[in-house]
Amino acid sequence: MGGRRVPAWMWIASAIAFLFLYLPLVVVVLFSFNDSRLNATWVGFTTSWYGKLFGDERMLAAAWNSLLIAVVASLASTVLGTMAGFALSRGRPRILGFLVFAPIAMPEILMGVALLMFYVLLNMTLGLVSITLSHIAFCVSYVAIVVRARLAGMDESLVEAARDCGASPPLAFRHVTLPLILPGIVAGALMAFTLSIDDFVITFFTAGATASTLPLQIYSMVKVAATPEVNAVSTLMLALTLLLITAAARVAPGILRINQ
Amino acid sequence: MKPAPKPARRAAAGMSIAAMSITGMSILALLLVAACQKQESAQGGAATAGASAQNAPAAGGGTLNLYNWNDYIDDQTVKRFEQQFNAKVVQTFYSDNDEMLAKLAAGATGYDVVVPTGNAVEAMIRRGDLQPLDHAVLSNIGNIRPQFASLPYDPQHQYAVPYAYTVTVIGYNDAALRKASFPPPTGWEAIFDPAIACKLKGRITVLDSPDEIFAAAFYYLGIDPNTTSADDYKKAAATITKAKSCWAAFNSASYSKEMAAGNIWMALGYSNDFFLGNRDAQAAKQDFHIVSVLPQQGATLAVDNMVILKSAPNPKLANAFVNFMMDGRNSADLSNLIGSGAAYKTALDFIKPEVKSNQAVFPPEDRMSSFHVLRLLPPEIRQERSRLWTEIKL
Amino acid sequence: MGAPNRGSRGEWLVALPPLAYLVLLFALPSALMVLASFRVAGEFGGLAPLLGADGHPNLTFEGYARLFASPIYLELFLRSLLYAAATTALCLVAGYPLAMLIARSSARWRDLLLLLVILPFWTNFLIRVYAWMIILGPSGWMSRLVNFFAAPLGLGPVTLMFSPFAVILVLVYVHLPFMVLPLYANLEKHDPALIDAAQDLGAGAWARFRHVTWPLSLPGVFAGSALVFIPAFGIFAVPDLVGGTSGNMVGNLIRQQFLEARDWPFGSVLSIVLTVVALALTGLAAVAARPRRAGLDPAARAVAGQGA
Repeated sequence: MGGRRVPAWMWIASAIAFLFLYLPLVVVVLFSFNDSRLNATWVGFTTSWYGKLFGDERMLAAAWNSLLIAVVASLASTVLGTMAGFALSRGRPRILGFLVFAPIAMPEILMGVALLMFYVLLNMTLGLVSITLSHIAFCVSYVAIVVRARLAGMDESLVEAARDCGASPPLAFRHVTLPLILPGIVAGALMAFTLSIDDFVITFFTAGATASTLPLQIYSMVKVAATPEVNAVSTLMLALTLLLITAAARVAPGILRINQ
Repeated sequence: MKPAPKPARRAAAGMSIAAMSITGMSILALLLVAACQKQESAQGGAATAGASAQNAPAAGGGTLNLYNWNDYIDDQTVKRFEQQFNAKVVQTFYSDNDEMLAKLAAGATGYDVVVPTGNAVEAMIRRGDLQPLDHAVLSNIGNIRPQFASLPYDPQHQYAVPYAYTVTVIGYNDAALRKASFPPPTGWEAIFDPAIACKLKGRITVLDSPDEIFAAAFYYLGIDPNTTSADDYKKAAATITKAKSCWAAFNSASYSKEMAAGNIWMALGYSNDFFLGNRDAQAAKQDFHIVSVLPQQGATLAVDNMVILKSAPNPKLANAFVNFMMDGRNSADLSNLIGSGAAYKTALDFIKPEVKSNQAVFPPEDRMSSFHVLRLLPPEIRQERSRLWTEIKL
Repeated sequence: MGAPNRGSRGEWLVALPPLAYLVLLFALPSALMVLASFRVAGEFGGLAPLLGADGHPNLTFEGYARLFASPIYLELFLRSLLYAAATTALCLVAGYPLAMLIARSSARWRDLLLLLVILPFWTNFLIRVYAWMIILGPSGWMSRLVNFFAAPLGLGPVTLMFSPFAVILVLVYVHLPFMVLPLYANLEKHDPALIDAAQDLGAGAWARFRHVTWPLSLPGVFAGSALVFIPAFGIFAVPDLVGGTSGNMVGNLIRQQFLEARDWPFGSVLSIVLTVVALALTGLAAVAARPRRAGLDPAARAVAGQGA
């Protein structure tokens, strides 16, 4: 389904929605060039905050950690979430439905404290690994729910038709089922990545004495030093993530191409 | 007709095997990374959860894990320490005493030095989180200013020495108040008396901290801020609820920024935040100054302290660090950076004039007696206060 | 049910890895906190030891009793429900046209539009909210514009910031992609032939939407609504930052218990009740959003399995 005629009201409504989404972003990016310690009124143009950012080892290390964790966590949770989505659409096992919806409902501070206590009980090192494992725990749900929605009411006869035409099961899966659910998987993966890269509360509790992520850095900065440097690092993360996704799309064209 | 079940099962099996192997490999990769980290940290001296204290080399070398408020130490100071002791300082941050306490209560370890405020120190001492400071190493201990030499939560400095302090005061935008014909505040009535405060309706913020708000309300009502009477708390809660309609928000994080931007005209906040806000406002070429005033009824003194955790991986280096930060020059670095008060005598020689002369940051001797350090609340009163706070914020 | 028991072993294989993961890293830690809701608070934070001095477990229902004894908690829950419901409804209204647009776009544009929807959310949450504080602040253009129109009408100075308006606005902003993406994933697979058929039969645009598109999109609507409502119900950061002096939600109260009040058991009690209420409401909604075209309907399967 593509390239259908789009009525005017849909264009207008979407434009308004995009405007809404991008208004704060424009402010963020713009103010990263603001020649003022204050993040409130425009004074003048400067790139000095980016200069300061590149000298700030701690901030850069935190940004790198966030990116790394987000990539691993979204990959793992996409795989696990897709499987869960399948199982959910089949309706079995019943308990999976509860286990998938409950993490979204649980307040983050409860999960953070619970996971920390759990890791301590297991005598586990607190660090990047503990953070990533925690992120996967809540990201799986988002992917599962979207994949399930995609599968709901899906026409089984397409798959059966392929098999009737002589396709082996893996082939049928790869050329019929997977393309059919791919938009759901992609949507889920994007959400998982977004959730991981921006998580604060659970990360705060499950990070150890040595690991830091970008949200941890920024949240602790806002009181005293919310200089445009945080805008700069946010803009930088944005650019980096965009590069990452476009590069991935170049390398594995099937990832984003939904219409085979 | 070919029966459908078998291929469906095999397809599902094939997919799940593929998926499991991908997941398995990712987790394997993660564990490999963790193992490498552990190797690195075993050599570097950082700790794992539950590990016992490592054998730190004598008075130098190794890694110090500092758990501190953000931007609460000058990078120059850290570099100086690292060079002097041939060590590495790893910093992680928190922005609230309670966050730090909750994390420690859940069992997190790996930190050497933490910087809690006075009543949090009390909680940590009573919980048994801390190890005694090694006074043999603390040669600078005589450098503590007399007012800070005998703090109620640890008079003998068994577990804690002062790090820096700030006073909770009223800050205001002088030009905006003039335009609104609002006389410059001199006491807490400007915040808590609706007849006065509502003249600036929607332009006032207060700290989002029950400790600070209740204490300020007690000062306004003429009650001892460290009272443990439930009735006193109810009275204060009523006062706060009445005044609340004049305030814009409870804000501890961005109020100095809002003031520097000119959106908020008066706030209950920390003296160092107002100092920074004023500096930012001048840098942004605003046409006003942010002025702090010491309320006449009294104010709370928030003293942050250095403590060493019982589970510290490197206690020798930790004690060395504590002593290092008690040196005047190192203590002064922070005052110059953020406008906090220094608790060490020789620090005053190194502090810039504009910080030293700020009366809210370095209050005159005769006013110091009207300031109080907040004490740890007994659990029942804490619960009562928490219930009242919920109602206030409803 | 006439269909044979098909592929149940395969189904279990697919379900096993996520099931195992969630049991290990969600159910077990959560069980710790469910237990905590019956324990006694530690004197200086945390939890008191599970076994008292006499060796008996130190358990109590006090937390639950306290919750149901005071009406302020009910008020907080209801307000949170209201805010979350409003957020979900607004996200649906704002997100549906956008999702439709993306679903109808050609493949090339679709990828780009999807990315553009999620892109703003790869900047830090706090920074984005602070940007809204600048936009909605008293010296911002939006505030000045509103007051320009409000002043002649005699309405007092309108403050956009630190108000329920700001809370809902930012809540919608923060959750919008989580409505758009699931909706899009569902809308994308709608067979255009169905809509064309309806048009050929004389149905107008609204009728086509009401009888074809909307019913088919219900699973997507449900998924998007769940991924907005449930997190919004328990959120704390947004009302904390932009809510002003009254506008607390349940999430704030829970956070307060773990931090300032040092009453972990009561925090756990609140969290469990929050989770149960959210899941119950979701369950009710799931019933309402059953897909109309049930490809997995057992009767249909039976026919497909046995038909020619």
